Amino acid sequence: MTSPIQFALKNALRTGTILFVFALFGTAMLAFTHDRTEPTITRSQQAEKLALINQVLPAALYDNDLLASQQSVLPDDLLGTRQPSARWIARRGDAVTAVVLEAIAPDGYSGDIALLIGIGIDGNVTGVRVTAHRETPGLGDYIDRAKSAWIDQFADKSLTNPAPKHWKVAKDGGAFDARAGATITPRAVVKAVRNALDYFARHRAAFVAPPPAKEKIA
Amino acid sequence: MPAPFILDRSSVTQVMAWVLAALLPGIAVYVWLFGPGILVTLALATVTALAGEAAMLKARGYPAKPFLLDLSAIVTAWLLALSLPALAPWWLIVTGTLFAIVVAKHLYGGLGQNIFNPAMVGYAVLIVSFPLQMTQWAGPLELTSASLTLEQSATVIFGGDVPKTTLDAVTMATPLDALRTGLLQQLTVDEVMTQPIFGHYGGTGFEWLAAAFLLGGLVLWALRIISWHVPLAFLAGVWLTAGFLHFFDAGRFGAPWFHLFAPSVMLGAFFIATDPVSGATTPRGKLIFGLGAGFLTIVIRTWGGYPDGVAFAILLLNLAVPLIDQYTQPRVYGGARKGKEPQA
Amino acid sequence: MMTMNEFRSLFHNGLVKQNTGLVQLLGLCPLLAISNNIINALSLGLATTLVMAASSGAVSSVRNFVPNEIRIPVFVLIIAALVTVIDLLMNAFVHPLYLVLGIFIPLITTNCIVLARADAFASKNRPLHSVVDAVAMGLGLTMVLVVLGGIRELAGQGTLLSGIDLVFGEEAKQFVLHVLPDYQGFLLAILPPGAFIALGLLIAVNNWQKARAERRVHAAAPMPA
Repeated sequence: MTSPIQFALKNALRTGTILFVFALFGTAMLAFTHDRTEPTITRSQQAEKLALINQVLPAALYDNDLLASQQSVLPDDLLGTRQPSARWIARRGDAVTAVVLEAIAPDGYSGDIALLIGIGIDGNVTGVRVTAHRETPGLGDYIDRAKSAWIDQFADKSLTNPAPKHWKVAKDGGAFDARAGATITPRAVVKAVRNALDYFARHRAAFVAPPPAKEKIA
Repeated sequence: MPAPFILDRSSVTQVMAWVLAALLPGIAVYVWLFGPGILVTLALATVTALAGEAAMLKARGYPAKPFLLDLSAIVTAWLLALSLPALAPWWLIVTGTLFAIVVAKHLYGGLGQNIFNPAMVGYAVLIVSFPLQMTQWAGPLELTSASLTLEQSATVIFGGDVPKTTLDAVTMATPLDALRTGLLQQLTVDEVMTQPIFGHYGGTGFEWLAAAFLLGGLVLWALRIISWHVPLAFLAGVWLTAGFLHFFDAGRFGAPWFHLFAPSVMLGAFFIATDPVSGATTPRGKLIFGLGAGFLTIVIRTWGGYPDGVAFAILLLNLAVPLIDQYTQPRVYGGARKGKEPQA
Repeated sequence: MMTMNEFRSLFHNGLVKQNTGLVQLLGLCPLLAISNNIINALSLGLATTLVMAASSGAVSSVRNFVPNEIRIPVFVLIIAALVTVIDLLMNAFVHPLYLVLGIFIPLITTNCIVLARADAFASKNRPLHSVVDAVAMGLGLTMVLVVLGGIRELAGQGTLLSGIDLVFGEEAKQFVLHVLPDYQGFLLAILPPGAFIALGLLIAVNNWQKARAERRVHAAAPMPA
């Protein structure tokens, strides 16, 4: 005869064991799949990041491992960043050819607009992309390359081309178009790109310095 | 119609006719200060609303004539038309009006059953879907360098060939847009307010339009077609919220009078939030409804993604009406309190 | 084994009578969030169907070893493991699509329709029946998702099959149908409210059809003598 307590204990032990077996089996399945897919996933994620950077930086400009060149940048008013951001240094041979910066346009119509800006060592923009924004759909979102080619007009611009007083949207007497009815968003982007160029000009010396012996992989 | 109508003896048609009449001063001022383009918009919205109403009545197996003559479709059409930019393209007006009548009114069960104010649903659909076209506001004539005749306005609205320079000369950012843009450029309110688009209290021209809507609303109140609860609470909600923010930081938040004398607030307070079908029905509920809508109007104007907040504020409060009504139901004497178990 | 009749009735149940999207109204969160175009809708629908088939099959196979009091934890464990496997596989092999569907793949775990079928059907039936039931239910959901995706994509941007390149690579872009060329776009259809409105209309059409069919049956029935 088993007492009720013994019976309950036995039952608990039995259900516990069954649950354990299922958990073990499930974990084994996950561990196996994770192990098999991890290299592919890492590759896809890196390819994705590289593809994004390639949109603002022509492939011909560099032959180094861009992702390995990532460095951390302290928050800076000219970049609009309030947290450390990333930058990537493009080199051909040993010469620095361009830099890709993360920047924020803080005065969009509905908050921050995150940008990726490529700047050649000569101070010319190689490309700009919006990576995150909350602008009104259908109104301010044309800054997104998926919606329109507007952002392409920054290519090859520099602090002197157009002249500083023309670094504005056309409505304010500047050189950059903006669609009627939605000028706040492009205004913010133009200002952010200009500031990033300014930032680059001030820190140019630090970029062209010879590469450190060991690049920190972030 | 159920109880909400205060004037027992008046039929739906009479009430609707008075509402339309009370909008006339506003329309007259609109034409006088902004040009006759609004008349084209009003006419197109009216025709579309009647056609949509007739088609839906037929599809639902109702006799068309008595319902068409109750004028409720025309009230919806006018309220929507007055909320739209006066030079909006024809398809925008037609889409908005059809959405208001077909979806917001009839798919919800027709007059008396609709949860949301149909005109505001039409407006919300348009501002969400076509934000760019919803910026074609005609500027006040005293500030624009050109003006359009009735015929030219119709040409613009129906997509005819109009020189872009003419169009640019007659359209302008609304005062609310101008304030928002200025603040985003790091200007203070006082600096923004030096622009010519700002008048004595509200925007140049716009403040007179607001006053005309206010006049029409007061007539409706004097005739006891609407009660004082909703409009007063709505205006108080706007004034108090804007006043609090302005007091807290006058450089970053517009003055309460400026917010109050935007035409959309007056139109919303007296003609839209007072809708007996989609609004609250108990006196206390009406006060909550009005205060809530006024508060949200300012919140959305200040921090939202769209230029004006009246429509969204009213729609959100429409959604809360069943709850408001339930908790403000006058207690039957001797009955249990709502939400409290009787003591055992 | 399974008779043709059983097979047919399971499919009728999943696609029409107990359709998860139009009748049971289960799992609406992904249904509403991901139905902004056909490709997204189809991908999520098929992924859900796959999870359902696998989890129902697994649940049914082990149903006799699972004590009643821990059946829900065990079922959830099985479903969660399967979903994570699919999540990893999609991340590895269809990365662009994975980025679009994002959070909604792991969320299949919480899609109540998966657990509902595991508990209500698979735990009481043989594996073959359970798998067929799960596939039928999953396809019913996929069907609604695709119709909804088609309506929203067509009304919203005037195309069909946009984003097909995310599944089949760049070259597949030529299969995108620009049904309405030079279409201005109707943002409401693509934004979340459009999902609610379109689903509401679909449910209404479905109910209307049913009501009409019933009326016809009543009209055809002979009057009792």
